[in-house]
Parts: sequence; structure tokens; C-alpha cells
Amino acid sequence: MEVNITRKEKELVVHLSGRLDTPASQEIMPQMAELAQEAGDTIILDCTDLSYISSSGLRIFLTLRKAAAEKGGRIIVRNISNEIRGVFMMTGFLNLFEIQ
Amino acid sequence: MSTRHRNRKVSATTIGIMLVVVAAITLEATSLVQYYYSKRGIREEASLRAETQLESTENKIMDIIDQTEAAVRNSVWIARWCLDYPDSLASVCARIVMDNPVVMGSTVSLVPGYDRQRPLFAPYVFVKDSSLIYHTLATPEYDYPSKEWFTKPIEKDGGYWSEPYVDTGGGEVLMTTFSIPIKDEKGVTAAVLTADISLDWLTDLVGNIRVYPNANSLMISRTGRFMVSKNRELVMQKTVGEVVEQIRDNKSFIELNRAMLAGETGNMALVFQGEKSYVYYRPVERTGWSMCIVIPEDDIFGQIRRIDLLVKLFQLLGLAMLILILRSFFKNQSKYKELDQRRERMQRELQIASNIQMSMVPTVFPERTDLDMAATLVPAKEVGGDLYDFFIRDDKLFFCIGDVSGKGIPASLVMAVTRTSFRNVAARQDRPGLIVSAMNDSLSSMNENNMFVTFFCGVLDLKNGYLRFCNAGHNPPLLLTDNIRKLKVEPNLPLGIILGMDYVEQEIPFRYDDALLLYTDGLTEAENTRHEQFGEDRLRAALHGRKEAVAHLETIKQHISVFVDGAPQSDDLTMLFIHYRGEKETVPRHLTLHNDIAQISRLPGFIRSVTAERNISPELLNNLNLALEEAVSNIILYAYPKGTDGVVEIVARADRNTLVFILSDSGKEFDPTAKEEVDISAGVAERAIGGLGIHLVRSIMDSIRYERKDGKNILILTKHI
Repeated sequence: MEVNITRKEKELVVHLSGRLDTPASQEIMPQMAELAQEAGDTIILDCTDLSYISSSGLRIFLTLRKAAAEKGGRIIVRNISNEIRGVFMMTGFLNLFEIQ
Repeated sequence: MSTRHRNRKVSATTIGIMLVVVAAITLEATSLVQYYYSKRGIREEASLRAETQLESTENKIMDIIDQTEAAVRNSVWIARWCLDYPDSLASVCARIVMDNPVVMGSTVSLVPGYDRQRPLFAPYVFVKDSSLIYHTLATPEYDYPSKEWFTKPIEKDGGYWSEPYVDTGGGEVLMTTFSIPIKDEKGVTAAVLTADISLDWLTDLVGNIRVYPNANSLMISRTGRFMVSKNRELVMQKTVGEVVEQIRDNKSFIELNRAMLAGETGNMALVFQGEKSYVYYRPVERTGWSMCIVIPEDDIFGQIRRIDLLVKLFQLLGLAMLILILRSFFKNQSKYKELDQRRERMQRELQIASNIQMSMVPTVFPERTDLDMAATLVPAKEVGGDLYDFFIRDDKLFFCIGDVSGKGIPASLVMAVTRTSFRNVAARQDRPGLIVSAMNDSLSSMNENNMFVTFFCGVLDLKNGYLRFCNAGHNPPLLLTDNIRKLKVEPNLPLGIILGMDYVEQEIPFRYDDALLLYTDGLTEAENTRHEQFGEDRLRAALHGRKEAVAHLETIKQHISVFVDGAPQSDDLTMLFIHYRGEKETVPRHLTLHNDIAQISRLPGFIRSVTAERNISPELLNNLNLALEEAVSNIILYAYPKGTDGVVEIVARADRNTLVFILSDSGKEFDPTAKEEVDISAGVAERAIGGLGIHLVRSIMDSIRYERKDGKNILILTKHI
């Protein structure tokens, strides 16, 4: 699992690649906690190379989403695969996130 | 009706008739013998009575006769002495009359010419109104020497009793005279001494002989003239001979007349005007009289005849009753025979029904290396309400066992319907839950007699040993793995109760050598004479050890037989034994993970290997991975206390349509299915952070079940594909 964060003015692009399973979620948790500090801006979660997500990964997404809501920021989920779209569907995440 | 039967009936009637005839003959013979002897006795008694009467009457007559004769004879010497003084002869007569009250009159009449001075001399003394009157008989009109009383004694040279006669001198009196010749010293007959006696007493004496109510007595003189008769007109007017002449067919009367005139004693039977009488006759000595008693037969035998009639009446009544009894007996006999035949016919039909029913349950078992089966069905009556069935389709074993409420014919009919319904539905349906639901609908919709069926249906995939089943109120089967335990079943309602009911289907993987014993409660509830039940413990004991399916059932039967010890079977007893002997798994689909979260990364590979032979979509693969990860990570993270070592065992089974993952761990008891469902429609602010994992498992899998057993958490995840 790799996470690359690039900043373009008020836009943070978080590039996620690999499998966001339970161990991976635990691994990136500190990084994500930092990211949540900047939830007042627009955070783009680029899922182009994300192949898998489990509930722990979804929890990270949801934590960011809640932070954004508090701070008046924006979370955009970009380029999710069909599999992940299905997971989003099952969990009602399609309604919580702005998906591009 | 068969000829044989008719013949038997005829012979029965013949026997009846013979019985009646024999009874009649016996009764009649007995009564005849009795009648004969009674009659003889009565006849003898009648004879005795008549003869005794006759004898005593004669004795009474003889008393008078003797008195009279004695009175006369005693006066002979004095009369002889007075011959020389004829005028004194009247006093001799007077003496006789006076000394003997029976003597009414007396004369000493000289033989004409004996006394030259008195050619005719006959002084006569008689009693009239208690005074003696002297009279003479020597009148030309009377001409005494020509009279019988005068001539006969001289002729006989001895005492002579005259023919009775009616004396008209002093009223009509029946008289008779005793005369005796008197001889002088030279031996010359000089006179006749007589004594007249009235025979009025004779009429009373003889007429009053009353041996029987309607008996008659009469007396005749030596000439056959009637002296005493109830018919007064005859007295002294007619002789018996004259009367007899007027009688037709008078042979016996002539004979009687002859015998009486001859002075014989005896008896004979007479028939007069169709009426039979018995006549007893006896002469009176010296007088030439004869008397007889005529007794109508009816007088003698009337009583016994009436008794005999009564006896005959009773006999007839008895015979009539005998006939009635016999008739009703034979009628009943034929009724019983008819009932017997009906029972026989029903028995035959029941036997046929039983055969039909037995032919409905399969008794030929599949000859396969992966399956060993046996079954038995023993109805308590000819037909019963238990059933089992099985067949193999598409490499799947469809089987069922059921128990219809009630017993006997109604239950057997429902059993047949149930079995047919099973075959129909299972022919095109693979899922036991749907099979049972469909059967329930069909049985409920036509269940007017409120009969229900407890039913267990299973479908065993012979390729992978995966067993789906659905229970409808039946007792849980026993599962034989490395131990024996009851299969966990949803109770559900029996079939036929609620239309449209959804039946919960369950599933369990079968491993090589696992076995299932399905049975009806007739097995565990088999009772011995002390009303104890065979019970589950004894059943488990009987199942001990591993053997062929047939041997298992035989052992159980033996155990039951020993247990009930001859007590009659009260309920149908059915068993179905299924022993799975599929191929041993060549690729072990087991995964053991330690309680380290990093182990999660082993899951994708495991799932790929499990589903390798299947053509499943990447999305499903992803989802299965996800569900499994959620379930496993829960265990790894929360089941074991931090720092302790623990494992999660995963067993996967897959057949063409289903994937099953069985997760087990020895951690603390934790039922993820009990967790409340997360609200996925909640907004961002309200949205809970946790609960997503179990939600995903629920969403992805078709069924998720938790069990806590032997200190283990067991989670069974099933996905139909």
C-alpha cells in the first residue's frame, strides 16, 4: 500500500495505490490523521490504483469525511473501480461522498 | 354368494330340522311311555275300584239275601210241624214278617190236594203301614199253584229266588220272593214257604254306586230283565236282550248280555254312540242277578288325557321355541359369517393397501461408492403414516422422512399424498427450503381433516458432501461424525398447517465418513411393558461404533426388540441412515491464521484457491475476500487478549452453487451476528464509524450463522453462487 499526497494550492490530491485492507489501514492511519487536520480544504482521494478496500479503509474515508464536514472542506473520491463502487454501494458511501 | 356357502347353509338347515325331529321324537316317546304306564295304572285302579264296589255291593245284597233265606229256613221246621194244623200256618208267616224287618210279606201255600179238606190253601201275611194284614192267595183269579215262586222251588227241590216283580198291591214296589218247599215227615212236598222282600233298597244301593262321576250301574235279573237302571222306564219292562237288539253294531253288547246271564265275573270295553266305556260285571250269588258298572272311558282317562294334552301343548311350545332359537341361531350364524367375510375382505384390502404403501418407499439403495444407505419402515398397523423417500438426481441425493399425525388408513392416505408431493416438487427443485415450502402449500390447501406431517427434507451434494436441509417440525436427525450429536435444526411448523409459510433452510458441510440417522418418534418412543420409552440415550448407545448402514439399523432394531420385550408396537417406526463416503478431499481447503493482523494478507490467496475451479466474477471474488477479511479481522483483533497467541481456523467448502466458510476460534465468546445493524442511510454527522465490517459480511453473504460450541466460536458464512 502506497500513499502519495500532492498539494496544489487549496487542493490536496491523495493518491492511494494497492490494497487498503486492515493491516494497510492500520499502517496509514497516522498519515491520514495528519491529513484530517487539513480537511478544511479540498481533499481528492485518487483511487485509480486502489484495488481493494475493507471496512477499516472505509473508516478512514469516513473519518476524513466527518472532519471535512466539520471544517467546511470537500472530499472528492476519484476513479473508483467497479469492485470498490460495489462496496460503496453496500455501505451507503455513494451518498456520503462526492465521486468523480 | 358362493356355492360352497349355500351348501353349508343348506346342511345347517338340515341339521336344524334333524335336531327338531329328534327332540320331537324323544319328547313324544317319553310322553307315550309315560302315558301308556299311567293309563295302565289308572286302568288298573279303575278296575280295582269298580270290582271292589261290585264286591261290596254284592256283599250288602247277600246280607239281605242271607237274612231272608235264614228267616225262611229257620221257619221251615215250624211250618212242617204246623202242616197238620193248617190254620196255624198264618201265624208262622206272621212270625217271619214280624221278626224280619226286610221281609214284607210271607205265605205258606199248600200243594194243591195235600189237604183233602183244603184243595187250595195259602194264607198270606204282609205289612202295610206298619200293621200286619192277613190275606189269602187261594183265590181263583190268582191261581197260586201256577206261579213261579210256587212251582220253581218244588221243581228244584230247594230254595228259589223268584224273578223280581212289581207288586201293585200297595203301590208300585219292586219285589222278589224267596221260596222253599216244605216236606212232611214222609218226605212229600206239602207246601211252599215264602218271604217277599222289597227291592227298593236295591235300587238305591246299586244306583248309588258312584265310582266315577259319570259312571252308571245297573242290575239285571236272571232272565235279563232290568232291575236297576238309571233309565227307570226300562226297569222290569224290558230285558237287556230287547234293548241290545236296537243297538247297531251290538256284538259287544250281546257278549256282555251273555256273560252276565251266565253269571260270569269280568270286564269288557263297549262302544256306544262313539263313546267308549268300560264295563265291570259280577253276579249276585244264588239270585241269578247280575250287576255291572259302566264307566265312560273319559271318566277314567279324562284327567290323564287332559294332562297328556297339557304335556303335548308344552312339548309343542318347547319345539316351537327350539325351532325359533335354531332359526335365529342360524340366521345369526350367517350374519356372523357375513361379518367374517367382510372382515376378511377388509383384511385383504388392508394387506393390499399395506403392500401398495410399502412399494411407495424405495427399498433398493443406490450402489455407489460414495454412499451407503439403509432404511426401514415398520408400521404399527397394516398401514401407517410414516414415510421416507430418496432419489438421486444430478449427483445430488434428495431424501426425506416424515410422520403423519394419527395412524391407520387416514394417515396412510396423507402419507401417500406427501410422498407424491415430495417426488413432484423435488423433481425440479434443488433447494430443500423451497421443496418443503411448496409441499406445505400443496398439503395445506387441501387439508380439510387438519392432519399434519412432520417432515425433514435434505439434499446432499454427493460431489462435495455439502448438505442443505429443511426441517418442518420433525425431530432432529442424529449426526454421526467423530461423535454423535443431534443435528441443529430450525423447529419450523409441520407441513399442512399454515398455507404460504416460509420454511428456513439450513446447511452443513458433510465430510467424508459423516453419517446421518433420520428417524420418526416411533423409535425413541417405543415402549416396553412398563411403559418406559426407548429414548435417545439407548439409541445413541445402539449407534456406537462404525459399520455398514444396514448393520446399524439391524443393531438398533435388535436393541429395541430386547428393550420392548414383547410389548406391542404402538407407533410406526421408521429409520433412514445415510452414510457419506465421498472422495476424501485432495486439496485441503483449510487455513489456519494466527491472531496477527498481518495474517489477513493470506486471505486473497486462500480465496482464489477455493474458488479456482469456479468461474466467478472479479467483483464476487473481491466481495468474498472482503467478507472473510471482515470476519477474520474481527476475531484477530478482538477474540484473544492482547499478547496471547490464538488461531482462527477457516474451512471452506464449495460446490457448484454454494460457497461456505466456517470460521472457528477458541477466543472469548463473541457473536458478531448479534451486533446491531448499522444505519447506512444516516448523514455524515450521524454516521457511526464502527459496524461497517459486520454490515459488509451480511450484505455479501447469503447467510451468516454463529454457534458457540465446545468453547469455540463458530461462524458459518454461506454464499450461493
